[in-house]
Amino acid sequence: MTGTTDPSARAHGWVAHLRDGGTTPWLAWSATGTPTARPLPGAQQLELLRRLNLDPRGPVTPELADRVLAAPAAGRGKADLPLVGLPHRGFGAAAVDPETISAHELLRVASVLLADDLVALGADPVATSWPRPWRRRIRLVGDPLVATATREHLLGVGRPEGGPRPFVVAIGRPLDELLARTWTQRCFETGATPWAEWLRFWRERDQLPDRADLVASVRRWGGRRPFVRVVTDLDLLPRQVGVRSLPVVRVPGADQAELARRVAAVVGLRVDRQERPGLMRTLQRRIPDSGAAPVGVPAREHEWVARSAARTVRAVTRRGYSVVGDLADLQPRPAPTSSVPSGPDDRQVLDLAIRMVVDPGWRRERQRREEVER
Amino acid sequence: MSTKVLLHVGCPKTGTSYLQDVLFRNQKVLREHDVLYPADRFDAHFLAALDLMTLPWGGLETEAVGAWDSLAAQVRDWHGTAIISHEIFARATPTQVARALDSLGDAEVHLVLSARDLVRQIPAEWQENVKHRSHITYASFLRTIRDPARDSKIGSWFWAVQEIPDILDRWGASLPPSQVHLVTVPPSGSDRGELWRRFSHTFGLDGLDLDLAAERENPSLGVPETSLLRTINQRVTSVIAPPDYRPLVRELLAHQTLSRGVASARLGLAPDDHAWAQELCRSWVEAMADRGYDVSGSLDDLLGPALGTFADPDTVPADELLPPALDAISALLVEGARLRAVEERLHEELREARDERDRARLTPSYRVKRKIVTSLEDSAAGRGTLDAYRRARGRKQ
Repeated sequence: MTGTTDPSARAHGWVAHLRDGGTTPWLAWSATGTPTARPLPGAQQLELLRRLNLDPRGPVTPELADRVLAAPAAGRGKADLPLVGLPHRGFGAAAVDPETISAHELLRVASVLLADDLVALGADPVATSWPRPWRRRIRLVGDPLVATATREHLLGVGRPEGGPRPFVVAIGRPLDELLARTWTQRCFETGATPWAEWLRFWRERDQLPDRADLVASVRRWGGRRPFVRVVTDLDLLPRQVGVRSLPVVRVPGADQAELARRVAAVVGLRVDRQERPGLMRTLQRRIPDSGAAPVGVPAREHEWVARSAARTVRAVTRRGYSVVGDLADLQPRPAPTSSVPSGPDDRQVLDLAIRMVVDPGWRRERQRREEVER
Repeated sequence: MSTKVLLHVGCPKTGTSYLQDVLFRNQKVLREHDVLYPADRFDAHFLAALDLMTLPWGGLETEAVGAWDSLAAQVRDWHGTAIISHEIFARATPTQVARALDSLGDAEVHLVLSARDLVRQIPAEWQENVKHRSHITYASFLRTIRDPARDSKIGSWFWAVQEIPDILDRWGASLPPSQVHLVTVPPSGSDRGELWRRFSHTFGLDGLDLDLAAERENPSLGVPETSLLRTINQRVTSVIAPPDYRPLVRELLAHQTLSRGVASARLGLAPDDHAWAQELCRSWVEAMADRGYDVSGSLDDLLGPALGTFADPDTVPADELLPPALDAISALLVEGARLRAVEERLHEELREARDERDRARLTPSYRVKRKIVTSLEDSAAGRGTLDAYRRARGRKQ
């Protein structure tokens, strides 16, 4: 870096460098460029572009680079940050070295890009088939990941949920897992508050969210004793819903869920309310695997979860619902050690986001025809 | 195409709610004078701002889809003067500003910024935070905003919408200074109509017969009331979701109940903070003095009032919290009673509907049909038969 270089021309030179696929950090950059009429992007956008270029699947195309540079950082956090080393007017946000920007800040920009990609992709079609008249009438409640996947499968094989006087099939799991899955599924629907905040909300209210509260869910669908099954053994679920087998349920990792949560918030600003579920369902199917574990209930919440699970077991027993499996399976698993991370790690989430922005594979693969048309 | 667009971008807590309410309620009169305030609901421009700036806002953002483009299209299609006004536009980044100005077509854009001194804005912004679920203490709030790093959500937002020279730099950089209008909020104790006169002059509304009755204001709270609300937030923020908080706490408690405590001490700044705020304002005034902006009022208004008696909201004694707390309990009980009445009415309607249904089911033919259906539903073959029958009758499954 030379001391005589015009800082503004240097910044424009760096923008052009990144746009051409460059990866040089700002503080190591010294060449100048021609100023353009467009305002200088924020440090968040520039650093994200540099990280995208650094990805083994990069560098990004100039078109994508322009999108990155124009993308806002979603939400009420910091607005675009100025680059350190440029003349400061004495007002405005403090200048930063882009390399020091947190993964959290970069994710605010990346989530906008992914939301726009998702909106451009559109919702995958839903596989449907003529309803079989002899199908068993059921209503699925409980574990939202299993219920959603089962519901979709049943729709595809002509056994849609619902109908007159249905059996209410409540899919139970250890409550800590059920809570984690409820939050995860919500991230892939309308979005949610962050995992820890969401959990605290329910703990302080000493209530369970609708889909994690098996008894309330059954009651909501008008389930009466002979027509209710509480299923805790998933191997026996197919028989309860009138099919021989069910597909394996994909359980998103903490990073996938957290990314979806952020994307859902932006998608909510991009499309009408009724279009968001289809788009988020598409994301849930297509989001690449990362190997990260799902979110887990931290040790400090374990006592409350155990108490709530015991309450659920008592309520199911008192009401006399038929149980397929063992009610003891509703009890939470042993509390994790405090060293086990329970929530998403922003750096992992950012890695996943970068991978999805750079590699359009998840957008290209259309669903195979046989999956859609049966 | 609009010949002129008046784009009012802030700041918060400068009488903007009143201005927007007057503009919204007088749309017809304004149109008759070729002035467009394009809004189908009072918060239409707020939604446009959320859309322009990609700001999720406690679920409200789902109502903001396409709101900016729609607003800009209405402005472009208008033949006269158009007004856009919302205070959170102040937070827009240079890229968003460029997009906003580009989308307004070739109209002559006039930027309007209403501004008030920091001495009054800082307490007002803290109160606003408290009315939006925050339980940050006043001392922490002051520490946060005085931190030059502006790393926190509160600090970055505060300066993004309150740092007047920076907002003018971001929004006004591409406009000639004569098209940048600064409306200063008159000093405390000024005639109540003075702020409106300044707005009216800047927006070119002088001489129009407008209904100026205040229907929608954002009233301020006294020190004990704000302190109480902050304490309530400590208890409820984590257990009351935003869609419930807005009507129950912000509207019912803060706006309709606690804001009535007009005799309570008003919040100000402690001596050290007061000196800092005034010094900062002085540097802003100096920076803006030579820019050639059109100022309605006086830049000196931005220096703020002299130091007054400071009542610390973080140390309000319990006996001062008691009266507003009782008011709050009373208001919540009245609201609870009202909701119980609503619930009872709905139950009554449901009972009537069920009775009507049961009367219809009392007929012998219905009972026979019901028995047949119940028997058929117990076997796969029966369900198939029923399904075929329902399909033939065109009934939904």
